[in-house]
Amino acid sequence: MPTYTRRGRIVRWGVPIAAVAVVAGAVTAGPVIAAVQGDPVLPERSAGQLLAEAVRAGQSGDVPPMSGTVVETASLGIPGLPEVTGDTGSPAALLAGSHEARVWYGDAGRVRVALPGRMSETNLIVNGDQAWLWESAGNRATRIKLPEGHAGARPTPLPSVVTPQEAATRMLAGAEEHSAVSVTNTERVANRPSYQLVLTPKDDRSLVSEIKLALDGETFVPLRFQVYAKGSLEPAFEVGYTSVTFSPPAPENFTFTPPAGAKVEEQTLGADAKRVPGGLTEEGRGEVRTVGSGWTTVVVLPAPDADTLRRQASQAQAPSSAPSSDPSPGQGEAGQAGQGEAGAGQLVAAVLDSAERVQGEWGSGRLLRTKLVTALLTDDGRLLAGAVRPEVLYEAAGRK
Amino acid sequence: MSTVEARAGAEIVTGGPGGPAGPGAARAAVPRDAGRRVRGNTWRLLGSEVGLTFRRPRNLVMLAVLALVPAVIGVVLRTVSAGGAEGDAGAIIGAVAGNGMLLAFVSLFVLVPLLLPVAVAVVAGDAIAGEASLGTLRYLLAAPAGRTRLLAVKYVNAVVFGLAATAVVAASALVTGFALFPIGPVTLLSGSTIPVAEGMLRVLIAVAYVGAGMAALSALALAVSTLTEAPIGAIAGTVVFVILTQVLSTIPQLAVIEPYLLTSYLPRFDGALRDPVATEEMTRGLLAFAAHIAVCGSFAWARFHSRDVTS
Repeated sequence: MPTYTRRGRIVRWGVPIAAVAVVAGAVTAGPVIAAVQGDPVLPERSAGQLLAEAVRAGQSGDVPPMSGTVVETASLGIPGLPEVTGDTGSPAALLAGSHEARVWYGDAGRVRVALPGRMSETNLIVNGDQAWLWESAGNRATRIKLPEGHAGARPTPLPSVVTPQEAATRMLAGAEEHSAVSVTNTERVANRPSYQLVLTPKDDRSLVSEIKLALDGETFVPLRFQVYAKGSLEPAFEVGYTSVTFSPPAPENFTFTPPAGAKVEEQTLGADAKRVPGGLTEEGRGEVRTVGSGWTTVVVLPAPDADTLRRQASQAQAPSSAPSSDPSPGQGEAGQAGQGEAGAGQLVAAVLDSAERVQGEWGSGRLLRTKLVTALLTDDGRLLAGAVRPEVLYEAAGRK
Repeated sequence: MSTVEARAGAEIVTGGPGGPAGPGAARAAVPRDAGRRVRGNTWRLLGSEVGLTFRRPRNLVMLAVLALVPAVIGVVLRTVSAGGAEGDAGAIIGAVAGNGMLLAFVSLFVLVPLLLPVAVAVVAGDAIAGEASLGTLRYLLAAPAGRTRLLAVKYVNAVVFGLAATAVVAASALVTGFALFPIGPVTLLSGSTIPVAEGMLRVLIAVAYVGAGMAALSALALAVSTLTEAPIGAIAGTVVFVILTQVLSTIPQLAVIEPYLLTSYLPRFDGALRDPVATEEMTRGLLAFAAHIAVCGSFAWARFHSRDVTS
């Protein structure tokens, strides 16, 4: 038997320790390499110049062909939200946790977004005036018809998928009026030197502490969008590329033929909205109004009261139950919507249960507070929501 | 234990049981072509290890069970008409009825969470602890530079078994699938269709990926095996680890640790069923496997070298 000295043992145990160090180093290599390389330095640009570049890149449609992986992370802190894992297909699942999507972008008319699941995949493939939604879990291909006159426009039948481009376009709309805007040129996103626009709301009644948008230093394509809530260091919502390549994706990505044996359905864009439980969107479409401006804008829309909502939610969970005779709006839709809605129904019920009862000069209702959004469901049938403190909602509720 | 004697005999040829202590002393004493002889003997030792592993009734029974599962799934899918399958994987299980080749993926999906790891843990966890409990470890070590070589041979043996077990699952699934279901172009998870030949290639990719995952698990089991003289402890420890990590990864609050768990990378073989093949995710998985092999392997090496072999 070989005899081993104490020193020999120490040297031997150094090997696994070194292995752990190497692995830990490799795991954190991204940040370390970035630190060694130093911050990327891009030519300085003012916020105005950068916004203009971004808008130009977005509007002219000459976004370069690209592909990459997008990760969406949300920790909105919605009370009572059942934590769903693995169920990537449900929009409710996107309100909590982290989700990954692969994006291929050829040009404005050719886009493919894939949401991988365990042994399943959901794909949205847009090619010119053709759009397909493929859900491997249901072996179902849905041909989406674009409404007349909208050919070429980007459809968004998947509310769950927000590319950085879309998120940015929405943000840029009313940016500078209500916000302090600053720009840094030393950010690195998806390993690309990037500009970062930081918008800080001027109104301190907003729950948003800042919004950060990272734009690629070369192409000005938005690479990451983050919303920070007041009082937390981690973003409450984030969507961004973790890897990106600016080269034309293979054309096969944009062709889709329903495989043999798959169920093929047809759907016209816009029909989706009817499926929202409680018929909020359907009924309220004509009467949605906003109160206030900028970051403290409050959306007011008519809504059934909490009990009706709850009833509809439970009905959506059991679609086979006999339709009740309650004539409240949206009932029929909720009843027939079926499986996909059961998750949303549960969600509504759980969220309603956790809402806090409040009252004041404006009346009474239920208040739902999250890190980023506050919602008030009044007993007289209105839903007020905004990224604001509750006082702003009460004030808006007072102004009938 | 005639087999042990045979192996010990192979050792004696090289250095002799009474060889001087320490690799340095051994180098001085043995002739110049000793290096080649040691290498030749390493191969012989590996050969005898692999032979032992695949002759051992216990291991053969495990391989048979692994081969049986795809056949059972196939027969069930054939006799019970598809439908009522729920969940993400439900559709792919149903799709086997339309294309037998998919049975290979379904079988891996079913076996990768538990049964395959158990089979690998039995072989790799037994590697050192089993010899120690039988009292045969010291005979195996009666050779210069014995410990590193013995550990390497034991590890490669476990890797070979892991790969063989994965291949057995795929082969059995393909045979069952070809026998019971129509074979034709394969519909991938992404909805596109590929010819049969490419489908076979995808099966090979999945087998290689799962085999690599089993190699990582073998390293872990080997490390546990050097800690104990009771093989059942090493096997159970590894299996408990496999189950525990999978339970932990279902807890949403612990989502942060998921990227560091070995078992969260094992089911990523489904990347082979995407179009294009999800190379990015699978490469990440392979890197995670490599990291586990490096850490667990070096731990096993350090532990095995510093431990007193008394049995």
